[in-house]
This record gives sequence, C-alpha cells and structure tokens, in this order.
Amino acid sequence: MSGRPTPFARRAAVLGALALGLALAAAAVRSAPAPADAPGEEMLTAASGRCGVCHPRDRVAFEKSPHATEGLHCTSCHGGNDQTDKASTAHSGASWRGRLTKPEIPKLCGSCHSNPKLMQPYDLPVDQYALYQTSVHGQRLAKGDTRVAVCSDCHGPHEILAPNDPASSVYVTNIPRTCGRCHGDSALVKAEGIRDTYHAYLTSVHAKQLFDAGNLSAPTCVSCHGVHGATPPEGGDVNKVCGRCHTAERRYFLAGPHASGMSRGGLAECSSCHGDHAIQASVTGNLAADCVECHDKNSAEAKLGDRLLADYRGASEEIEQASKWVDRADAVPIETDDFRARVQEARTYLREAMTAAHSVRPDIMGSFTVRARSTGAEVTEEIQKELGNIRTNKLALIVFWFYVLVTVGILRRFRNARPQGR
Amino acid sequence: MSASPKPGSKPAVPLSERLWRALAWLEQRMNVTELFSFLTHFGVIYTPIDTQRPLREVLREIGSKPVVSYARWPHILGLLTAILFALQAISGTLLAFYYHPTATMAYESTRTIVRDVPLGWLVHQVHAWGSSLLMAVVFVRIVRLFWDGLYRAPREVLWFSGVMLGYLVIQIDFTGRLLPWDIHSYWAAIRGLEVISTVPVVGPVLAFVVGGKTLSQDSLPRFYVLHSLVLPGLYLAMVWVTFASMRRVGLSRTDEAPPATTTFRKHLADLAIIMLLLFAGLVTLATLFPFHFHGAADPYATPKGVQPPWYMLALYAVDQVPVPGWIPGLLALIVCLAIPFLPAILKRTGGRFDERRVRIAGVAVFAVWVVLSVIGVIVERS
Repeated sequence: MSGRPTPFARRAAVLGALALGLALAAAAVRSAPAPADAPGEEMLTAASGRCGVCHPRDRVAFEKSPHATEGLHCTSCHGGNDQTDKASTAHSGASWRGRLTKPEIPKLCGSCHSNPKLMQPYDLPVDQYALYQTSVHGQRLAKGDTRVAVCSDCHGPHEILAPNDPASSVYVTNIPRTCGRCHGDSALVKAEGIRDTYHAYLTSVHAKQLFDAGNLSAPTCVSCHGVHGATPPEGGDVNKVCGRCHTAERRYFLAGPHASGMSRGGLAECSSCHGDHAIQASVTGNLAADCVECHDKNSAEAKLGDRLLADYRGASEEIEQASKWVDRADAVPIETDDFRARVQEARTYLREAMTAAHSVRPDIMGSFTVRARSTGAEVTEEIQKELGNIRTNKLALIVFWFYVLVTVGILRRFRNARPQGR
Repeated sequence: MSASPKPGSKPAVPLSERLWRALAWLEQRMNVTELFSFLTHFGVIYTPIDTQRPLREVLREIGSKPVVSYARWPHILGLLTAILFALQAISGTLLAFYYHPTATMAYESTRTIVRDVPLGWLVHQVHAWGSSLLMAVVFVRIVRLFWDGLYRAPREVLWFSGVMLGYLVIQIDFTGRLLPWDIHSYWAAIRGLEVISTVPVVGPVLAFVVGGKTLSQDSLPRFYVLHSLVLPGLYLAMVWVTFASMRRVGLSRTDEAPPATTTFRKHLADLAIIMLLLFAGLVTLATLFPFHFHGAADPYATPKGVQPPWYMLALYAVDQVPVPGWIPGLLALIVCLAIPFLPAILKRTGGRFDERRVRIAGVAVFAVWVVLSVIGVIVERS
C-alpha cells in the first residue's frame, strides 16, 4: 500500500474543506454586529425591555424621550431585570432601586449629566447639578425639605424632551406653566406662605409679548431667576437682571440719585416702581403718581416728578400738533417727506426722554424733551409758513383779476369799434 | 454803422398789414379758408362761407354780416359746453405731459404735477373744477332743451346729441376720476363699477373694456385711453353733429323775444370775453376752493365715506333694495335709453301730445332721481 491517498479520499477531503469554509462564512455573517449609529426598530423597543408588559403607560412616555434612543433603559435609573415579566424577578437584584425618592433624583440625573465625557458628544452643559444645589429648591432639599422641585418635576419623570422641542415642558412658552404648577397652585402657595407669582406674571407686559405677540425673546421665569440655579435676584442685583435687556434704562438709572438712595434704603431698584412679576407697559400718567409712594406729597422730589411729567407732556403735545399740520400739508399737497422724518425724529427723542426719566434728573431728561419739543415746534412753524405762501396765491388773484378785467375792457373796445372800411 | 439803413427811408408797415401779407403768401400755397371753414363746424362762426375765396375777403365779408348772437341766455349754454370742453382739452393736455398712466406711477406722477411742477396745482385744480362746471352746464342745457320742448321736429337730432353730450361727459368724468389713483378715486371707481355691473348688457360690455369686473392695474391705462382719446373724440363728434344740425334748423327761438343779432366781429369778441371770464372763474375757484389731495390707493383699506360719483348715487340707492340686481339695472337702462329717443316715443302719440304733461312727467322723473340720490348718500353714511 502506498501512502498516496485514493481518489475517493482526496475528493472527500476537498468536499470537507469546502463545507467547513461555508459553515465558517455563515457563522461570520451571523455574528456580524448591527451598525451602532443607526438604531433599528428592535433597539427602540429594547430600551424598555419587558417592563412595558406591566408598565405600558410609562413605557410609551419613556420611549418618546431622546433617552430611549441614546442607549438608556428602564433599568438605567430604576435597576432590576428588564428581561423577565415576572415581578418578583424583575424587581430584584443588587441594582434594584424601584421608585426613586426626591433626594435621590438630582444625584441620579447628575451621575450622567455632570459627566463631561458623557455629555461632550451632545454638546450639553454639565453644570446643572452644581447650579441646582445653589438654587432655593436645592438648598431646601439639602435641608431635608422634600416639598421642592427636583429634576423630574420640571422635565417630567419619563417623557424628558429637549428644551427646543415645542412639546417639552421646558420649551420657552411652556416654562411659565411648568413653574406655575407649583407657584400658581392656589392651595400650595397658601400652605407654603409664598406668593402666586405665576398669575401675576400672566398679567405682565412680558407675558403679553410672549403669548399674544409670539415674541420668543420675551422673558419667562428662568430669564430673571436662572434655570437650574433658580433664585430670586437680591436687592442691588435687580437692576443688573432687568438691565440685561433694558440696557439704556439701567444706564440712566445708575446715573441718577435713585441708585445709591435705594441701595441705602434697602429697596429693590426696578421693582420698587414697576413691581416684580406683574410688570406693566409704561403709562405716562403714572410717571409722577408713583413718586408719592415714597416721597412726601409736598417734597421737592414730588414736585420734580410733576415737572418732569409736564416737560414730557408738553413735548408730546407739540409733536402731535406737528403731526396734524403734516397731515394738513399732505392734503394740499406740500412736500412733507422731510417733515415726516423730523416728526419721527422728535418721537424718537420723546421715546429716549422716557428712558432718560429713569435718571430722574431734569438736566438729562430735559435734553431730550427740549429737543423733541423744539423739533415739533419747528415743523409746525415751517409748515405754517408754507401754507402762508398759499395764502399769497390767493392775494395774487386780485392782480390776476385786474389783468383779466383790463383785457375784457380791450376786447369790448374792439367789439364796439366801427369796422374800418377800405 | 454807416451801412445801416436810415430810419424813415422806407414807409413803416403796420404789424397787421404784415400779418395779412403773410396770410396772402400762405394762401397762394394752400387753401386756408377751407381750414377755417372746418373750424366753423365747432362753433367759431355760424354762417356758411365760400371756401373758394381768400380768407381775408371771407373774414371781411362775414365780419360785418349780421349773425345770431350766442352770447346771451339761453343760447350761451351751448357755447359754454364747447368753450369749457376746449379749456378742459388744454388743461388736460398740460396734465398729460407729466402723467404716467400706470398703477405704479400714476399716484406719484399726479403728486409731482400737483406738488412739484410750477403751477401744476393750478392746472390740476382748473381741470377738476372745469369738469364739474362742464357737467353742470351740459345738464342745465338738457333741462332747458326739455323745458322749452326743443325735442320736437325738426330738432330731434339736436336733442339726441345734447343728451349724448350729457352721457359722454359723465363717462369722461368717471374715467377721469380714477386717474390720480389715490385712495378716494380708487374706491369711488370700485363702487361705480359695482353699480354699473348691475346694468344688463352695459355691465358685461364695460367689464370687457376694463378687463374684468374688478378694478385692476390693467384698468388704469384703459381708463386713460378712454378718458383722453376715445370719449373726447366722441364728444367732439357730438359737438359737430350739434352744429351741423343747427345749420339746418337754426337756433332755437322763442316767439316772445326775437333773437338779438350781432355782427361776426362782435361775436368773435364776445367769444373771447366769455372764454377769458370762464378761465378766470375757474382759476378763482381752483385757488379759493381747491379739492383735497388724498393718500395713495390701497386695495386693503377702504376709507370712510367713500361713495360712487354723485351721478351714480340714485342707482346705488336702488341697488340696496333686496331684489335681484338686474331689475333696477334694467329699469335704469330703459330710462337712460328712453331719454335720447324721447321724440320717437312721443311720435307714437301721433304728434298730439300735451307739452305740459310731458313737462310734469319729466319733473317727476327728475324728482325721483334727486330723492334716490339723496337716499344714496344716506345709505352710504349709515
């Protein structure tokens, strides 16, 4: 017997190798991992595992949240085992936390949201937990008071949406209502002895801008109080907070005597006159009326308020007068583009005078009221002069009729002259 | 200096003689008299002339020829319709130099005329006042012709052309009102079109002409062409018909007062005086009582107190009655068609009709029209 393999054995070896190769290739295909950056449908349902069998409502809410698509599971927060629908097995194990208590929640959320490595791919800030601990909510929680807002009270426990999602409870137009769930709850505010700031805010010019005018830049609760570090601005800081938007008003306010006087007297700067939450659009008539809230009725300060108001009104009336003259000139018509521009300019001065009134200094405010008033008066005067030229046209009629009658006389002589015979 | 001709070396030729010589030079080259005879069709002169003779001879002959004077009541009404039309044509031509008949430029250009062009405001106001005056004169003339029974044979054509002048002057006014394209003219035109669209036949025809039932920017150039070309052309044609008919049937005369006669020379002077006084009157009205200038047309803002032009108020009032719009429209159409053909209608009575009854019927129609117009104003205000 030679050592050479028989043809049958060779064929068998080739077939065997082929079969092995096929089997290996099939195994390789089977074990290939799904692409990680495109979660399939099975992965979405996998987020809640089998918890949804008993907790369908929580499952639906959770799966709307971006958390569900970013690799979080029910067990990430609640612990336990999500691969069984047997309650005793599911709600057990070393990781089982069950329903979280209020003090646990900020810590749990912070365990991811304070981790720069985890948040960096989403470009999310990591200071929320630190800020929360500086807030009145956080400080009271630290003292053991659990009747405060934690993460889930504002963001929702399961249906946590991004703040730029209009369905989110922390979307800009939803923020007042979210805060108002506690700060506008009449029973709760009475029990806690705090003010119903939500309903006060709803009457404010800020809320009208936000809800009626659709101005998404209008301030909500968090614009002044901070987001996670929600704290009422302290006296001395109020002008800084308001001045973030009302820059010119703040500049004039700081230039006037009220800034130092209010800080000495411990008065909140802007809100002493404007109120805090129910801030109304400025009413000219209230300008001087509010002075007597603090100053004596016969004091020099109250009289100064009356004088500033009188200056403002005088300028305002002068501008209205000029505006009426412009309309009259338009009906003639006289070229009014320049006059209109100047009336607009005067209105701008008047608007600036209202802002400058925050300095309560007649020299500062007066520089605007005087300019507004004199611009209005100049326009009125110039239009009256031009309309006076039209009156001159009427006088020119006398000369015109003189020449007409002279011509008629000549024509009558021609008419009655004897025809010249040849 | 020494080469200059000495004064008095030639006999001085008076200016009038030089003009006559120029005319003679021209007459050797063309028939000026024929041109002049053409002008007589529009009321310059009321006498037949021989177009084969030189103009100087013709003028000398007719200058001393006795002609019937237009220049006194009631014949002056016809004269005024011609003179006022001439003044309107002159002021309208001046306006057309600056006016742009496009929706984007109409208001701007009107404002330029009124505000920036020297004396543009005067031309504009004279044109506006002239239009009102022309309408008044044309209407008084129709009333006068009716009252004196001047629709009877052989003056049916005069009556027809007189009424047609009235209709044309209304249409010229209506199309002209829109042209400034300001907020009042725009909405008045819309109201007017609403009224007209209720009239059968006329409404659809008009919609075809202006390019739809609603006012669009395409309407403006069409209104402009109608206002400045088509309708004035028809008006001139009717003036021509009036004078052509008058040459046959003569001026109307009443039995009590025989017509005053005058010479052509005096007639021409009267004509010049009337024209001058009319122009002076218009300038005075325009200066003392100018029309207001309104803001630009805005399709999205209906101003308060906008109403159709006054001559449409009666139909506007009737249109408020809750019946199908074509019923008052048809009635108005029948009345409007009946007026120019009044002689034909009266002829059906066999020529024996009581003139007093016709007068009473006319006064009744007029009274109804006035009452409806007043109601139209009240309807608009409320």
